[in-house]
Amino acid sequence: MRILVTALTVLINFILQTTLFQHLAIQGIFPNTALIIVVSYALLRGSNEGCIAGICTGLLFDIFFGTSKGYYLLLFLVISYFTGKSQKNFYRENYLLPIIFCTIAAGAYEFIHFATELILRKDGNLLFFILKVFLPTIVYNAIVTVPIYRVLFGINEWLELKEKYRYRLF
Amino acid sequence: MIQFWEEHKKKIIAGFIIIITVIALFAGGKNMNATLLESVVGFVVTPFQDITTGIGNWVESTSDSAKDKTALLEENAQLKEDLAKLQDESKRLEQYEKENIRLSALLKIAQKYPDYKSTGTKIIAKNPGVWYNTFTTDKGTTDGVSANMILIAPGGVVGKILESGKNYSKAQSILDSRSAVPAMSLRTGDLGVVKGDYTLMNNGLCKMEYIDGEAQIAVGDEIVTSQLSDVYPEGLSIGKVTKIETDANGLTKYAIIEPFVDLKHLGTLLVIDKNSTEENP
Repeated sequence: MRILVTALTVLINFILQTTLFQHLAIQGIFPNTALIIVVSYALLRGSNEGCIAGICTGLLFDIFFGTSKGYYLLLFLVISYFTGKSQKNFYRENYLLPIIFCTIAAGAYEFIHFATELILRKDGNLLFFILKVFLPTIVYNAIVTVPIYRVLFGINEWLELKEKYRYRLF
Repeated sequence: MIQFWEEHKKKIIAGFIIIITVIALFAGGKNMNATLLESVVGFVVTPFQDITTGIGNWVESTSDSAKDKTALLEENAQLKEDLAKLQDESKRLEQYEKENIRLSALLKIAQKYPDYKSTGTKIIAKNPGVWYNTFTTDKGTTDGVSANMILIAPGGVVGKILESGKNYSKAQSILDSRSAVPAMSLRTGDLGVVKGDYTLMNNGLCKMEYIDGEAQIAVGDEIVTSQLSDVYPEGLSIGKVTKIETDANGLTKYAIIEPFVDLKHLGTLLVIDKNSTEENP
């Protein structure tokens, strides 16, 4: 059940993000909903399941948009792993931490892209990157995190309730 | 088995990641058609992307049709005027063509004007994000589209196909920073390479690099693909020069190119197969 729901979440988000969410762009900046979902999932369920969600999302991006396999996969894997590691230390009902984590993750995501461009193609314009890409992206992502985290949190609660009855955990 | 997994879990995962990285490093830049896994995923996902893009377009077109009538009437009048002009021009060009055929027959030039086989296609999904400009189109190997074919729109080059699956293809536009198109100025014949740049991508511009420092290239020149590429056929128009700057080393120049095609708002595209030239009669 959990596997099915998670796979559907990732897939539906991928389909929407690449088609309809294109209209949400402000000055060419998109909310990275795939990253927010992976980070939220890693925060809710820990690094192991977060990594699996990250790998699946990364693989979808690699298949459809990457020139070489593994770039997005590794990116999402690393981000979900490090977020998942910090899962035990906070209350999930709190909204502030997911926002902070998604902001950091979105910043790291953009920065890794920037570093790849700089290293592989020597296309580095730090001022442009910070003003036109980095700051708008993290602000936009922080705003979009709130509704998405709320939905994922609700789904997770519902699933955990079902699992509790099935396995008689408590 | 499970015990083995428990014991060597970290090593196995680390090995897996290293293998992926190595494969990515070696497979990078090679354009091959999609593998089985990719085709399967594409087969499942692309129809839904097609539907959601359709919904988006429908909403856009209905909101457009609610625009006020006067603007539409004005546009209609403008278009009629343009049409009349174009019809006039096409007649003139027809005469030129006839004259050309007659004169080249006189000169016995066996010149071939390539007329490529083409397939119409449409964009169904775009890569989200500011860094790269790749997209998915809705024709695949079943329609005869395969890797390294060229995408054009009325006006000029759009990009090339990176990879084809059964019912979808992955394409890269010329604005992508990984794309490089050998090009030349039509007026002066100066060579260069048109590359994407992420700082210009959002404005729909690209950059032509490695132009000789002494080149006579000027603002307003038309840029076309040169004969130096083994992917892009010669003579397709790309765009016009809007700005020329000298590089920091002082030996070469670069130019900012504005493509003829509005690459930010693409609709239907043509895929052309440069290996299937049909001779123009």
